[in-house]
Amino acid sequence: MIAIAVVAALPWLITTSYWRGILVVCAMNVLLALSLNLVLGYTGQLNLGQSAFFGIGAYVSTILVKTYGWNFWLASLAAVGAAGLLGLALAAFAVRLRGHYLAIASLGFAVITYQVLVNWEKVTEGVRGIYGIVPPVRGTMALFYLVAGIAVVVYVLMDNVVRSPVGDTLRSIREDEVSAASLGVNGAIWKAFAFGSGAAIAGLAGCFYPGFVGTLVPDAFNIVESFTMMAMVIVGGMGTMIGPVIGAVVLTFLPELLRGFGESRLMIYGLALTLVVLFMPGGMVQAWLAVKAKFS
Amino acid sequence: MNDLVALVVQQSLNGVYLGCLYVMVALGLTLIYGVLNQINFAHADFVTVGAFAAFFTVTRFATKALGLPDAGAYLLSLIVALGVGALLGLAVNAAVFAPLRRGDELRPLIATIGVSVLLENFQLWLFGPIPYQFDSPFSRETIRVGRIFFSAQSVLVVTVSALAISALYLFMRFTFLGKALRAVAQDRETAGLMGINPNLLIGLTIVIASALAGMAGALLGPVLVLTPFAGASVIVKAFAIVIIGGFGNMQGTILAGILVGIIEAFTVQYLGSGLIDLVVFVLLLAMLVVRPTGLIAERKEENV
Amino acid sequence: MKPLLRTAIAALAAAVAFSSFAQDRVVRIGVLMPISGPGSYFGVMDKEGIELALEHFKNGVNGYKLQVQYEDSACSPLQATNTAKRILDQFKPHVVIGEECSDASLAIAPILNEAKVVQLNVGSVTMKLTESGYKYTFRIFPNAEQQSLPLAQVAYKTLNARTAVVLHEKTNAGNDNAEGFKKPFEAMGGKVLATIDFGRDVNDFTAIATRIASLGKVDVLPTFALEGQQVRLSQALAQAKVVKGGGGTAVQMGSIWLPYGYDQKAGEASQGYVRIVQFDPTEKRKVVQDFVSAFKAKYGADKVPTHINAHAYDAILLIAEAVRRGGHDSESIRDQFSKMKGFEVTTGTISFDAKGQTSDLSVVHFVETQKDLSWKALNWQ
Repeated sequence: MIAIAVVAALPWLITTSYWRGILVVCAMNVLLALSLNLVLGYTGQLNLGQSAFFGIGAYVSTILVKTYGWNFWLASLAAVGAAGLLGLALAAFAVRLRGHYLAIASLGFAVITYQVLVNWEKVTEGVRGIYGIVPPVRGTMALFYLVAGIAVVVYVLMDNVVRSPVGDTLRSIREDEVSAASLGVNGAIWKAFAFGSGAAIAGLAGCFYPGFVGTLVPDAFNIVESFTMMAMVIVGGMGTMIGPVIGAVVLTFLPELLRGFGESRLMIYGLALTLVVLFMPGGMVQAWLAVKAKFS
Repeated sequence: MNDLVALVVQQSLNGVYLGCLYVMVALGLTLIYGVLNQINFAHADFVTVGAFAAFFTVTRFATKALGLPDAGAYLLSLIVALGVGALLGLAVNAAVFAPLRRGDELRPLIATIGVSVLLENFQLWLFGPIPYQFDSPFSRETIRVGRIFFSAQSVLVVTVSALAISALYLFMRFTFLGKALRAVAQDRETAGLMGINPNLLIGLTIVIASALAGMAGALLGPVLVLTPFAGASVIVKAFAIVIIGGFGNMQGTILAGILVGIIEAFTVQYLGSGLIDLVVFVLLLAMLVVRPTGLIAERKEENV
Repeated sequence: MKPLLRTAIAALAAAVAFSSFAQDRVVRIGVLMPISGPGSYFGVMDKEGIELALEHFKNGVNGYKLQVQYEDSACSPLQATNTAKRILDQFKPHVVIGEECSDASLAIAPILNEAKVVQLNVGSVTMKLTESGYKYTFRIFPNAEQQSLPLAQVAYKTLNARTAVVLHEKTNAGNDNAEGFKKPFEAMGGKVLATIDFGRDVNDFTAIATRIASLGKVDVLPTFALEGQQVRLSQALAQAKVVKGGGGTAVQMGSIWLPYGYDQKAGEASQGYVRIVQFDPTEKRKVVQDFVSAFKAKYGADKVPTHINAHAYDAILLIAEAVRRGGHDSESIRDQFSKMKGFEVTTGTISFDAKGQTSDLSVVHFVETQKDLSWKALNWQ
């Protein structure tokens, strides 16, 4: 509750247009990290194709609004549906594969989606891009409240799911799928559920992205973005609810704070990522718990 | 030679050449997976490092300091790149793979992503983004047989690849170390019980794989547009090849690599080069539906 | 004593007021360019050009100091949008030079125009930048039509080409240039046998060259890609015996993208290459020669400046000129730009048309690569 109050107060404390913009990006990243958390953190499935669903959400909603004159909210609903359905399609592959096969297959899906966005110029304008996209609400502050509000809702819903028996089922699949099967857990259905809902949430985040930037190009959805999302979940702390949120916040603000370093910025980013994975496997949540333990 | 036949032959040759290049990159990946069950996302950057190492050997060192002729300098650079790759593999193994040996599979994966970002940007800082012109004496010579053409470089690439693959095969099949490696790949614990030190062998595998990557870089240098991002342009296809061929399976990887090369050449001819990635990955997904274990399947039982 | 003290205080007050007034005499120039990622190819060269130009104006212009701040927009619309907002908040520039990549330039145009800050673009070709009615956006770089139309005309009329294969990188810039060639060429009666695009990550062009060889008689090959890929492409085309440099008959054509050293890198494959150049380091004009020698003095005798260096350098010259003529903030600089006619820089003379696009292309001329890889200037325009 306190957290919500703090988040709500943020745009009042941060008054420059630039940092408010970063807040919006942060809220979107939180949504994305949460979307991946269900699949990766709780079900233990390595999905490298999340950027594809982010892109699908962005393109479907934008095209429906711009080319067909749909209302933004209806278009977003359609986009979320599209992303979710495609997520289920990916799940159709996922259920037969494990570990690294899934990783590369999902990567392949991301590549294919990206190529479709680039080559299907009639519909997506390809690399030329779509311009002059207006956000659903005017003003950065309002946009932030909208996206952050949705993120909070998603968080609460997901939290409830995770605490319910569904969460245990997902965790059992992550730990040991074969044993879970022997207990009657139908891995296929649950993996599909995780993939589909994760994809839908990523698509939801995608609906707000083009309005914020104003222009939409396929390059924003290449595979590197998938890696960044994955990093947020892992650095924050996989398998926890608050972990991905922390990860998203840290990895949104870190590159901005490192701007002073200019060219070495990304190098430091890579180094930081490697070190965190090496020494803090549970991510920042684990570090925080360890610190708390020391002082109690 | 009538037109269509000449065209088909030419594009097939182009495809085989491309395929060999991909195989050189993919082979290291498949080796690491076979023994360690790990994907090294930084593999592409090993290739780039190898390419730069070769470039600087040729331009700064071999011709000027040692006074070697162009061809000799280039061949020397292949060896240097091999060595640099091996060293890099050693370093990454010590820093990333060894400490993360126990624990879940995902962490080393992410760590290699971090290493990849680090290596790319380190090279960017060191070498800058402007492409270097790497021409080997072989790439400038064209050999013509009737209406078919290929460069001397492509002959070199195919030859070196064939040699490397044969050497690897013989090593795995007939030497003690090779057999020990295969034992570790099949069942790490039992191999350990048999007196083989799995950690040492895993380290060795990574060194070999990275050396291959380095050499691939040297072979690719004259083909690529040489920037710190050069490796990234081939790595995604290399991953696809590893899967299509069957993870951890050497013969499968070789077959898949050549196949992908040929598919690429013909896609360019009839569809357009913008669609290459699309075609290759649709093929990948199709493979996963039809034959998930790859072209040449290796049965792996999963014990509960 | 008292009168002396009073004068002293008055003098001190005046001095303080004057110095703070003097400190305000700064023209702030923001620079948005790709510093990280693959696009940093452009950022590095932009910075070289800008830094060199700033040295000329170390002591200010017309009493104003030129202050520059660089921001990394990484060639991406999201990053560009963020950095544009950041620089507007923190640095409050009067002019922003940016960006190189068309997508990013189009992303920041509305932001800068809304903030009433002048946008000076030195590297994007997209027509949309100056066709969208932005009052504060100016561009000194020739747009897609200005680059490709002359190529099409020369191809059809002077070279008597009737068939063409257009090759281009799969980016906004590549697409626009390709379209800019195709439309007029086909309108005149030429036939484009194929349009072949490729991503920036394509390295081996043998398959593409083979395909072109199988298309029959090709007269011209207009190509729009960066130097690295163009070198590989030309070599492959020569191998496939398609272009003059390899024993074929087709003539490669290119736009101002290709820098001076390309011919040496591609070797004999570049023979017969016909292209338009805007920045020619061998040009005899004093501005150009001064620039080239200053560039070599600062960056090394074996380095030849490219058009990216030159355009960035010119941007600063232009801004300084506007300041010299009385510009000192966004509005007045904008004013000066719109009135700018015939100002000489290394890439020609700058005269902005009503849409903010440079309209004087008198320096642009054709060259053909000779057997010894030197350029022969042609009078075709």
